[in-house]
Amino acid sequence: MTDDSIISWSVFFDDALFSAMAAIGFSSISHTPRRAYILCAVAAAAGHSLRFLLTMPGGLEMNIIAAATIAAFIVGIIAVFVAKVIRVPAEACLFPALLPMIPGLYACRAFEGFVGCLSNLDETLFSHNLYLFVSNGMTCGAIVIGMAIGANIPIFLMKKISFQVTR
Amino acid sequence: MMAMMTMTDIETPCGEVPFTGNARDALGRFLAEYSAWLWGCGATCVRIDKNVGRIAMTYGYRADVAVMPRHVTVCLSDESGSVQTYTQRVVRAGINFDLNTELSALSWSIRDGKLSLDDAEKRFRTIVGQPYVDNFHILWLTSLANASFCRLFGGDAAAMGVVFIATAAGYFLKQRFLRGKMDIRVVFYLCAFISASLASGCGLFGWGTTPGVAVATSVLYLIPGVPYINAASDMLACHYLCSFSRFADAVVLTASLSLGLLTSITVMNNCL
Repeated sequence: MTDDSIISWSVFFDDALFSAMAAIGFSSISHTPRRAYILCAVAAAAGHSLRFLLTMPGGLEMNIIAAATIAAFIVGIIAVFVAKVIRVPAEACLFPALLPMIPGLYACRAFEGFVGCLSNLDETLFSHNLYLFVSNGMTCGAIVIGMAIGANIPIFLMKKISFQVTR
Repeated sequence: MMAMMTMTDIETPCGEVPFTGNARDALGRFLAEYSAWLWGCGATCVRIDKNVGRIAMTYGYRADVAVMPRHVTVCLSDESGSVQTYTQRVVRAGINFDLNTELSALSWSIRDGKLSLDDAEKRFRTIVGQPYVDNFHILWLTSLANASFCRLFGGDAAAMGVVFIATAAGYFLKQRFLRGKMDIRVVFYLCAFISASLASGCGLFGWGTTPGVAVATSVLYLIPGVPYINAASDMLACHYLCSFSRFADAVVLTASLSLGLLTSITVMNNCL
């Protein structure tokens, strides 16, 4: 095993560990039933580290929108089965597990670009800020829609499980 | 506040448990309030449709739910064509999957015949009457989550520590401000400003090598992630109005927190 691959795997596990911790925090802030915390963390770790693998330089180097969609699909499958085990609606596991992948920084940068447009009337600066606003805003929107599509496919494919787990 | 519009007063008993007059109104009002709470706690429109439809079907009715930005309308119809419409203002309960779980379980208890409408209403009151728990464990878990976020974006140990403290302070104030009934947009602005200002400590005192990551990630706990995902989910289910409403709410909150972040960056840059 080369030094580079050791570093990559340590970064990979780092990514899984911290996304799991983030998912537990977001589960608590969303008032998810406590029995779901650990399983949300497992789903988040699987999804976030899969996205990391798909986008990793030197790996598949997939576009972040496609990678987030695929990762959300996997999280959706895990969430549906987990929901059945702990008898909570699938969204209660799914959404906190997806939250670490929400492109919050893109949203903030898009808004910064918007404010930059308003505060810089110089053409070059205005064009640069408009570029920041549009590119970050579009990426943010596309990631969220991609994640929603990916995560909802398992819910609709396994409707019987998804909507009857609290019975 | 409940507002009820009666389109027709023809009462035709149907199904196994017939409702007439006041009992039918009681069912309509219950369903409207049930929908408003489900919406308020962050359920998707598909779930609201399914749960409300399930309860109505138990009593021999069909329910069509229209979710508008500030109110929910439930149309109860029976086989004879009699239709009654019930409207309820949405409840701002905050994202609460515990409530979502219990309300969904309630719909199945009714469907399986375990509860009469009176008993269902009593259980509903108990569920929605539970105090909104916002205690210490949520505070530190949220701070830990945001510190983890900082690490995911490449922050070092110093940045993580500062983000943990900045989040704890911001979230603590958010709890206090919301309890004091302050406008949520102002709360998001102030909390983002305070968290980002505290996180600027990394840059001001030279702690660690990633001060920029600390400032940028210090406000991420405020990003309304669930409304964004709900908006996209509702859009996929063709609930466009509700989707747009949730999206607009989320964008306003994101703008508020971004403004707080920008104010903090401007102030701190001037200090430096």
